[in-house]
Amino acid sequence: MSGADTTPTAGGATPVTTTAIRTALDSVLDPELDESIVALGYIDEIVISRDEAGETGVNVRVSFTLPTAWCSPAFAWMMASDAKEAVEAFDAVSAAEIDLRDHMHETEINTGVNAGTPFADAFPDADGGLAAVRATLDHKARLARQYDAVEALLSVGLSPAQIISLTPDELERVEETAADAGDDRIHIFVDDAFGVAVDAEPIEAYLEMAREEGCLTGDDEPVFRMPEGDPIEESMFELLRRRTRSAKVNVNGQGTVCEALNESRREMLGRTEAD
Amino acid sequence: MFTYEGEDIFVIDGHIHLWDASEENIKTRGGKQFIDCFYDYHTGFTPEDKQWSFEEYEQYDVDRLTDDFFGNGIVDMGIFQPTHLKEFYHEGFNTFDRLTEVKDQYPERFIVNGRFDPREGEDGMAELERQKEEHDIRGVKVYTAEWKDDSKGWRLDSDDSFEFLQKCSDLGIKNVHAHKGPTIRPLNKDAFSVEDVDLAASSFPELNFVVEHVGLPRLDDFCWIAAQEPNVYGGLAVAAPLAVHRPQKFGEIMGELLFWLGEDRLLFGSDYALWNPDWLVETFLDSELTPEQEAEYGVDFGLETKKKILGENAAQLYGIDIDQKKRDLEVDAVSEEYDLSAMYSNSPGGAVADD
Repeated sequence: MSGADTTPTAGGATPVTTTAIRTALDSVLDPELDESIVALGYIDEIVISRDEAGETGVNVRVSFTLPTAWCSPAFAWMMASDAKEAVEAFDAVSAAEIDLRDHMHETEINTGVNAGTPFADAFPDADGGLAAVRATLDHKARLARQYDAVEALLSVGLSPAQIISLTPDELERVEETAADAGDDRIHIFVDDAFGVAVDAEPIEAYLEMAREEGCLTGDDEPVFRMPEGDPIEESMFELLRRRTRSAKVNVNGQGTVCEALNESRREMLGRTEAD
Repeated sequence: MFTYEGEDIFVIDGHIHLWDASEENIKTRGGKQFIDCFYDYHTGFTPEDKQWSFEEYEQYDVDRLTDDFFGNGIVDMGIFQPTHLKEFYHEGFNTFDRLTEVKDQYPERFIVNGRFDPREGEDGMAELERQKEEHDIRGVKVYTAEWKDDSKGWRLDSDDSFEFLQKCSDLGIKNVHAHKGPTIRPLNKDAFSVEDVDLAASSFPELNFVVEHVGLPRLDDFCWIAAQEPNVYGGLAVAAPLAVHRPQKFGEIMGELLFWLGEDRLLFGSDYALWNPDWLVETFLDSELTPEQEAEYGVDFGLETKKKILGENAAQLYGIDIDQKKRDLEVDAVSEEYDLSAMYSNSPGGAVADD
């Protein structure tokens, strides 16, 4: 999920507080790093003010800074527009304003995203559209997440043959008590009987992105796929595991670089993260 | 040259610069943002007591460079990779002609690579010939994301690029270093996509393609291409400094590279002055994979592998006979200036690195 389909954990009738906005922004991802812009520490400030014109609504301004002034304008645009959408999902928000700071194209991006005009209008000489970029990044994120999900299944004892033939129908989510929400499990049915339980997080993260990418549509098809989207033959299992491992190492490695750049840059700019 | 765990380590720093980002040289806001970004990379991955001030970082001279390289005798040779960026800097950032002056001053110590940009057409071709003729270049640095007029970058596998690669082949310029770094502008297109290396490498098997920064953040695509193209190499500039504060991540990246490319196709580079080789080489030598990483990747990251990455692989690409080179370096101006001759003499051992 690159934020386009913001999970409704916040928004709607939820009261608008900075905490609620942060929670909503948590679902907005840096599309290259496949990680939340909140967790990455990009958010500078969330300002909620009364809407002078409206009766009850509020205005929300979200300021953020990326790890370099050079970050791809396409990625910056995606994060800005996804953030705006996440904030606007609150009923009580009359207007959401995004304020990308210290980026080489901050003016084009802020103006365009806040006016709701397309990327191509702001950058007329850009090749192609954002959809293709998002699709490429979703694909890479899917491979990295597939690695985590398959590792989780291998670690609870499933065999490669079982893993490649698994379908969504054979997965059953088991809610833990509210206090242990982070410990939700998924039960895997093997040959129509309960087989093993596995941590839900990597499996669900994978399913979400596989559906986003479009390689997984039905509930009776194989869950895991080759890079091109085809089902996996057992002879390819190990090679594929290694390829998805490199996708994971890549996203982790780049995340590390961006994290260090972000820390250095915020120090140079004298900028602190929003509470 | 210094000794580490009883072994002589011959170090060729495969990726270095001498830049001028002083206020007087900055032409556009992009030039300021560019050096600011470099400085963030520098401070993000440099031990605190080794960090430069921003003023030092904007512009440094050849004396600073030679002190940093040869002052403690850890580096033996360096390969300059030019970066012109004339849209950002009046006189260019790190230009070929300026670098050749350093090489002429210390001919045994430095190699200067040329550059080309296929969008420069016939003038560019003539310039490439000049670089070869006047300085006998053995490699070129190419920067596919550089802006030029209305163009926001170019591809290594384009027809125009192939004409230049053919010219490199004809002139005996064997090594093509392609900068493939972070995803930046231009706009939505990924100007540093590594896909163009694939066709270029298979079309010119007589050339070697060194993908600088190992394609991060496209390490996975890079490894997959390199696994199939034997003339594709990985330059460790930017990846190596991860060993400072992020040893776990560094180990994973090395594991991937050694798994897919093997130990003969990786080249160390400090990216100087992004980072300093005088401490980075030792950090690299001290780094190791965790037992879990060794088991996962099944690769060896011991001293022999490190020696290849630190110098032997680059020597192979640039036709350097290390034993002969040691004899030449023993008596050159740098050895005299920094009192390094004893390191290269045949006496057992050599200087010992400070711990």
